Amino acid sequence: MTLTREAPPVVTKPPGPPKRRPRDGWANAIMVAPATVLYVVMLIVPVALALYLSLTDWDGFSANPAFVGAANYVDLLDDPELRRAALVTLLVAVAGTAGLNLLGLGFAVLVNGASRANTFFRIVLFYPHVLSALVVGFLWSAILGTNGAVNNLVTRWGGEVLPFLSDPTWATITMIAVLVWAGFGVNVVLYLAGLQAVPHSLVEAARIDGATRWQVFRNVTLPALGPSVTVNIVLSLVTLLKTYDLVVSLTAGGPAGQTQTVAYLILWNSFHDARLGFGSAQSVLLMLVTGALAFVVTKLRRRGELAVHQ
Amino acid sequence: MRKPFLWATVAFMLIPLYVLTVNAFKGQQDILENPFGFGGLTLEPLGTALTNPQFNVFKGYAITLLFVVAVNVLSVLLAAPAAYVIARSPKRRFRVLMLFFLAGTFIPGQVLVIPVVYVLKTLGLMGTIRGFVLFETVLTLPFSIFLYAGYIATIPAVLDQAAAVDGAGRLRTFWRIVFPLMKPAVATMVILNTFSVWNDFVNPQIILGPGSGLYTVTTGVYAAVSQYSTDYTVVFPTLLLAIAPLLVFFVFMQRHIISGLTAGATKG
Repeated sequence: MTLTREAPPVVTKPPGPPKRRPRDGWANAIMVAPATVLYVVMLIVPVALALYLSLTDWDGFSANPAFVGAANYVDLLDDPELRRAALVTLLVAVAGTAGLNLLGLGFAVLVNGASRANTFFRIVLFYPHVLSALVVGFLWSAILGTNGAVNNLVTRWGGEVLPFLSDPTWATITMIAVLVWAGFGVNVVLYLAGLQAVPHSLVEAARIDGATRWQVFRNVTLPALGPSVTVNIVLSLVTLLKTYDLVVSLTAGGPAGQTQTVAYLILWNSFHDARLGFGSAQSVLLMLVTGALAFVVTKLRRRGELAVHQ
Repeated sequence: MRKPFLWATVAFMLIPLYVLTVNAFKGQQDILENPFGFGGLTLEPLGTALTNPQFNVFKGYAITLLFVVAVNVLSVLLAAPAAYVIARSPKRRFRVLMLFFLAGTFIPGQVLVIPVVYVLKTLGLMGTIRGFVLFETVLTLPFSIFLYAGYIATIPAVLDQAAAVDGAGRLRTFWRIVFPLMKPAVATMVILNTFSVWNDFVNPQIILGPGSGLYTVTTGVYAAVSQYSTDYTVVFPTLLLAIAPLLVFFVFMQRHIISGLTAGATKG
């Protein structure tokens, strides 16, 4: 046997993704597990629990709430308080969405374009969104109350005290107005982002063809804004359907419970009246309505957009 | 036409803030007689509000700030690594996990607040700071993970591979190489979480409860103002103290805050 000394073949690894080491599987698990566990325990389990609790008479204290079947849902169908709250909520959501989007789109067009003044306008329109709805409500209730700043002016100029918050109809309108005042700055910013996406060449071309400002807006800008409009409307609806903090601070649901929203009623029933089972049933209903409405609006808008493009 | 209209709108937006500020420095009589004037300015109501036994403002700031910091730190520690695995792993199970987290962005907080009381009671965390911070953190997770995963996907994977070749494990690669590059996304989330925790009213009111003696700025304002809503020498200074830190923060960081909060608004 002869020993031939051969040089060991030199193996060069081809450059490429390094082999996955078995440790990586463990590392992945360690990185994902804490977030997932907490998410399941405090968000997924509660959603399932909301469904279960809505079938019980839980009062918030007992460890073993009794199962009552669909009784809460039956109660809820002929609860006059809920019917009124649902009406108020729907009114707030629809009128508020109209207000938020008309002002949002209108002002976005007005403050579009980069200039120092426009930046200042945007900041001023946006700032109420930074404040908590609770503070906004207390502030406006101090300004619009019977002895508030506005009525001070009104009476000084010889008018009668205006019942901004003491008459049910006025109070509902006041609430919608304050929600719009506090929120439309966000819609302005969202619509501004949408306006950046409108092709400048289209606008130019329409201008050259002799279209007026309004015609350009109506026939070029608005159709191109389609997706923005959908996003804004859905967001406004979903947010307004959950109105709670502002009710607490602006009207406290009054006068005589006439401005209670569904969200307000849910928390009132649950924590003031200790009927958490009943409150759960209402919250499940609110979740379904919110989801369905968002879905329907998105569908309708999409159909509208398709019609525009054809 | 456009400019005068916009300036009139500016006035309409700012007058409430003006009324709030000027009346925080006036007595009840002066406020009732002339809510817009400067008559009889005094520091006394502000001093009274600062020492209100119903609501200790500085303690409120401290507690709220503690919550804000705790939720932000915990949220980043939990969401960022999870988002990294989801964004980088080709495995199907992590894509499903993304959808699972995404579903959370559609669940309204109102639906959660009742059953969460049940969960927290079962865990013995009801009425505790730990329970409140954990729940607020969980509320931030779905959108954080969504945002972070999207951002990580824009960071070249070559960087990770280079680190792996140099012998860094997955955890080290993430925290040392990828995480420092995520600053813009983390900044957006921190702004968003800071405002949502600072302004939250329902959750601290119900989870911490009046019995715990732990007042955030919002629940403290509620305790101090709601029963004395006709005593303007309480209302205006308390509200001014509640919003002053946020407004200062907003004025200095407005560009980032507006884009951050707008990104948050679209989470639905």
